[in-house]
Amino acid sequence: MNKKACSFLFLVVLVAFVSVFSGCRSKKPSADMYGDNMLGDPLIGDVALNPDNMGLPMDGDRSLFAAVMFAYDSSQVNPEEAGKVEAVAKHLNKGKAQGVIVEGHGDERGSREYNLALGERRALAIRDYLINLGVDPSSIQTKSYGEEMPSAMGHDEGAWRQNRRGVFAIY
Amino acid sequence: MRRLFFAICVVLVSMSAVAQRVEVRKSGEGKISINLAGYRTGGDTASRTFLSVLKADLNRSGYFKVTSAGAELNVAGSCVSGGGNMKADCQVYKVSNRQRLLGKSYKAPASGVRGLAHRVADEIIYAVTGKKGMASGKIALVSNRTGRKELYVCDMDGKNVRQITKDRSIVVGPGWMPDGKNIVYTSYKRGYPNVYMTGRRKPLSSHGGLNASGAVSPDGKSMAVILSRDGNPELYIKSLRTGFLKRLTRTRRGNEASPCWSPDGNHIAYVSDTSGSPQIYIISRTGGRPQRLTSSGTENVAPDWGENGYIVFSSRVGGRYRISMANPAQRTLRVLETDWADYEDPSWAPDGRHIVCSRTASYRSSIYLLDTLEDSPVALLSGSIDWFSPACSP
Repeated sequence: MNKKACSFLFLVVLVAFVSVFSGCRSKKPSADMYGDNMLGDPLIGDVALNPDNMGLPMDGDRSLFAAVMFAYDSSQVNPEEAGKVEAVAKHLNKGKAQGVIVEGHGDERGSREYNLALGERRALAIRDYLINLGVDPSSIQTKSYGEEMPSAMGHDEGAWRQNRRGVFAIY
Repeated sequence: MRRLFFAICVVLVSMSAVAQRVEVRKSGEGKISINLAGYRTGGDTASRTFLSVLKADLNRSGYFKVTSAGAELNVAGSCVSGGGNMKADCQVYKVSNRQRLLGKSYKAPASGVRGLAHRVADEIIYAVTGKKGMASGKIALVSNRTGRKELYVCDMDGKNVRQITKDRSIVVGPGWMPDGKNIVYTSYKRGYPNVYMTGRRKPLSSHGGLNASGAVSPDGKSMAVILSRDGNPELYIKSLRTGFLKRLTRTRRGNEASPCWSPDGNHIAYVSDTSGSPQIYIISRTGGRPQRLTSSGTENVAPDWGENGYIVFSSRVGGRYRISMANPAQRTLRVLETDWADYEDPSWAPDGRHIVCSRTASYRSSIYLLDTLEDSPVALLSGSIDWFSPACSP
């Protein structure tokens, strides 16, 4: 009996500890940016993109940083992916590059035009996060490829997971 | 929950209504039998092509059944070719009272024999039924047949395929100018997704970020377009004369996509996911509060608003995409009967009766023609390469 109560107490403490700890962790990529919106979608406020993308570079080096992965139909930067964005912010803030083109991609499910908008929202979510980390907005351009440029060619969850991504092209 | 129940009821009722209608008409008794056995052609390929294309067009129209005996209508006349030109005479008579419904002569260069047959087919359909045919229409579509996604155009029977762009880039979501002469599409040919028009080098829209889903108004003066220049994909109207932008949506937590115009040009139907899933909304061209059109299905995307007042769209029901049509004025909804494959990106054919869409089976996308009345789906373009995003000319 006593043993049971003891283990129960232990469980309660463990649950409380885990929830507090994980709560802290999920807050780390700036809680006020996400607010309480469970659908995700950080938007620190409609920061206009560079007015004319004609003068901007078309391409950059994609090999420097790992791609940010997204959940199905979501444009939220997940806490476990935030470190990838922070690494890019550090690189840019140190003046090691001129800027970055954030390329948003989606998996093959859903309509092509909707996926184009979704890919843009993924790129913009990363852009907003970079701005929040102090990166100059004028050095971040977004480009959505929708479902047009998959990195994995399969038609299963494994391939779809790899294709829902935000790629950093550094220039 | 009650609303959901109501929505399900509406779908069931409309579906059973459709099923009844199909049953009644399935025998083809509603079709007019037409006899072309008396039509004379030369022995050359061109004039034989003319007759076979004309017969196929009449059968595909849904209004006729081409027979060789005992028809209600007789087609007389002849088709001759010579000197690089073709001449086709065509008379249509009612067998019962010998009343002449059509009597005309047509000419075209021999290279345009298919186009000539399409024109004659539409004239026969109009003369007999008073309705606009679709045979002379064109389909704009995208294929990766060269390894890149380029823009193509074909006839309404899936033949006469021409490659339009050679940009070696990506073309997305083509649509027609209201005059049916040019095509508006999204391309990455200059690096970023911009909206272009065929026959014009300069982009129609090239703001920072996303420029996509350009749809030109029926009067040809403005374009509905999705832009992310202000930090989020939103629906805008851009004046094609002055370039002036009017922003219609402000959905910081949502995506907008796929706008299309009402036939009178006063409203725009588009996709938004502000409710948590992509659904279709209607907004006035002057802005204001959008009205949600769709409530059933986990996803409703890719609307096309026909001259007939019906919005046709792709609806995800039970894990697969089907074609639905809704009339916003009458508040009706109907799901078309299709097989197990995914049917997406529907577009009204010029006759307002048929729908052209993509059909995806085993990850292969082909182009199909669906009849909203009674005929079975017809494959227009299929094979070992992908064809998608079809858009019919007006």
